[in-house]
Amino acid sequence: MGEARRLSDPRGWLRGQLRGDAPRLAPAAGADPDAVGDAVRGFRQLAQGDDAERRQARRRIQQIAAAELRQALTARVTTDRPFVERLVAFWSNHLCVSTGAKVLVAPLAGSYERDVIRPHVLGRFEDMVLASARHPAMLAYLDNFQSIGPTSQVATLGQRAGRARAGQPQATTRRGLNENYARELLELHTLGVDGGYTQQDVQELARMLTGWTIDGIAGPGARAAAGMRQRGRGGRLGRAAVREQAPSADGPLRFVFREAQHEPGSKTLLGARYGEHGASEAERAIKVLCAHPSTARFVARKLVAHFVSDEPPAGAVDRVADTFRSSGGDLSAVAGALIELPDAWQEDRRKFRAPQDWLVAVFRALGTSDVRENVGPLLRQLRQPLWSPQAPKGYGDTMQEWADPDSLFNRGELARTIARLPAVRDVDPVSLLGVVDVSASTPLSSMLADTSITRDERIALALAGPAFQWR
Amino acid sequence: MHRRAFIQSMCCGGLATFTLPSVTFGQVRQSGRFVFVLLRGGFDGLAAVVPAGDPSYRSLREGFAYDESALTMLDDTFGLAPGLAPLKTFWDQGQLAVAHAMAIPHRTRSHFDGQAILESGLDKPLGSSDGWLNRLLQSMSGKRAGIAIAAGMPLSLTGAYDVQSWSPTQLGVVDDSFRERLAALYRADAVLHNRFEAAIAQQDMVGEEAMARGRARRDGAVALMTAAAKILRADGGPNVAAMELSGWDTHANQGLAGGALDRLLGQLAEGLVAFRTEMGSAWDSTTVVVMTEFGRTARPNGTRGTDHGTAGAGFVLGSRLAGSSVVADWPGLAANALFEGRDLKPTLDTRALLKSVVAASFDLTPAQLDRVFPNSAAARPLPSLMA
Repeated sequence: MGEARRLSDPRGWLRGQLRGDAPRLAPAAGADPDAVGDAVRGFRQLAQGDDAERRQARRRIQQIAAAELRQALTARVTTDRPFVERLVAFWSNHLCVSTGAKVLVAPLAGSYERDVIRPHVLGRFEDMVLASARHPAMLAYLDNFQSIGPTSQVATLGQRAGRARAGQPQATTRRGLNENYARELLELHTLGVDGGYTQQDVQELARMLTGWTIDGIAGPGARAAAGMRQRGRGGRLGRAAVREQAPSADGPLRFVFREAQHEPGSKTLLGARYGEHGASEAERAIKVLCAHPSTARFVARKLVAHFVSDEPPAGAVDRVADTFRSSGGDLSAVAGALIELPDAWQEDRRKFRAPQDWLVAVFRALGTSDVRENVGPLLRQLRQPLWSPQAPKGYGDTMQEWADPDSLFNRGELARTIARLPAVRDVDPVSLLGVVDVSASTPLSSMLADTSITRDERIALALAGPAFQWR
Repeated sequence: MHRRAFIQSMCCGGLATFTLPSVTFGQVRQSGRFVFVLLRGGFDGLAAVVPAGDPSYRSLREGFAYDESALTMLDDTFGLAPGLAPLKTFWDQGQLAVAHAMAIPHRTRSHFDGQAILESGLDKPLGSSDGWLNRLLQSMSGKRAGIAIAAGMPLSLTGAYDVQSWSPTQLGVVDDSFRERLAALYRADAVLHNRFEAAIAQQDMVGEEAMARGRARRDGAVALMTAAAKILRADGGPNVAAMELSGWDTHANQGLAGGALDRLLGQLAEGLVAFRTEMGSAWDSTTVVVMTEFGRTARPNGTRGTDHGTAGAGFVLGSRLAGSSVVADWPGLAANALFEGRDLKPTLDTRALLKSVVAASFDLTPAQLDRVFPNSAAARPLPSLMA
């Protein structure tokens, strides 16, 4: 059904996929929020524990991460709305977290894509960015959960405690502002590096974001909040306020705003003054950033580069940016604008498949489900493991980055391995001709029909040959 | 560049250079080999090459400072962190220059921008730029070939001159018949076919190393640098290489001796020692430069780490150095000496160091150097660095 429509009315086929919400997923087995919370706490409490227990706690986290990864890739492989899954992958990479960065991120990355990206992938950009800012995976990945206002109540208490322990050099290490998330929010998530902000803006935004942290684990703010509760009587905070901020010792990891960690006072971002307003300062700031013209341009360029061409045509970028602006960041409308770009339909416009794209395409072509068990290690070998970019800018997607000689050869090796899997036993090599999309009189078509070549080698040739490297 | 122009450049310009050079060269002196090691993430120069003798050091890094006794002191001011102790053998043999208070020529605290500046060799961000190592290959005379020992092609090597890449995978080799059929298919793809040819040539050169590749990733820098040396020392092997190590973005719990950063420094130092050993006699013509996109804040942050800063440290290793030295116009760590009140102040341009090394390694003329590093007149080569 989908196949016929894809060929006869490709624009309509794509547009149809944008109707309704994006498909939602349930957590993978064993990866429900309580289990994730318990696994993370188990690991962190064992920071000084013995090696065997620590290894076991780490293994539990790895099992959750692996189950979530399979779940997400299964959705990409089995979907009947592949355009929507591609959008999920794009936005997940745009606002990426990396499981390689911290143990804490690994079991949360699945929830991050499921709860931050999916619900908004056909919704509003600012809702997605706000959800991202509040998700424990992002709070952990870019360190905001540990950021403390230099003159916040927590910092002031810490200094007093430090003075009490004077003479012990380790105890006096200052805890304070961490501007990592604020910087990437400006540079990578919204305005772009040339979007017109300064180092001062980074610091001001970091101050607004102090107090945005994770409930359910013991962080510096949580410890201080607990300490304040004990000395609540006669303390500077009212008892009720303090009780509210006491850390949860069980349950899921959740966003919490801790007033005591928040830097008081007014802040100035991009020339606009923000009066002291607790959690709503950064909330307002994020909405302003998402509506900024630089953001529309930055996001549009990245979208066109991903969906149309490594060298995005200026006119196409303008059209998508216009839609982004005029729709108030409606990502369904923006996706629709991509479909309508004349540039997207030119024969000579094609994109080299990044490794994740290629592997998903391989599994879709083979129509098999068993190979998905191997998908995590396979992506690692292809140098693009899911949710594990080396830097917060995420993975690139240009030919320049992925089509280096060694990588082409790796795909050959991998295709050879995949084609030998038992699950691929029933695939007819000739049937791959239509999927690979080459005409009948090419070298590949004669090889696929050549029964003097083993069946698995013919399958590998289809998947590793140059035609299948392009989309 | 438009796609069509790009395709043309791949077909016409790229063909001749993609295969490994087999031409022998007469009048051109056998020049050196150059290896550029990029520490991605911005490594903390103040925790690696520790200015323990600076009067402000201890107070600035209170609770986070090394005692001199824990360091390998190079002079009255600077000492190598415990993890870098293996570099002492280079120092004792006149094969280590340590640069400090060095920074890229553009002020940024963004990884993205910083790496782009360092890898493009320009003085300001320009998204469309090619890499300076690629321009080096375009500009130098004689026999040359470039290789990226990296997952994916680093910006430093991208550009019109075609280069090879290699990185460890955990896969075995493919049989010859499959390889030949695949090569036949690739010959029909105007854009990809010379890339695939290069891959085949690379496999043939690395030879049995290809069978053993793998496992390397887990062993980290030592295995990677050993493999790199095997490729570089081969007859007809590349003479310009880019490598990279990541994990240096130590925002939290950076630690002191034996801590997270020191362990990474230990891998780097042991990797460099392993590289020299594996290079054998080819080491004598090889120079290695280790750099990062920026240093880190002079003071620790609130999470027992450091944030993105400005100037930092770097290393030059090789027997073509004039001798071991600390290359630093040291600005000091007094509060009023810090850049923007928070970072080590830059007094040395990364390009000055790079120009000195590549000019000596490949006998570059000033005109060739200008092509590699445009608008870099202010970053003069250091006269006494190289022999």
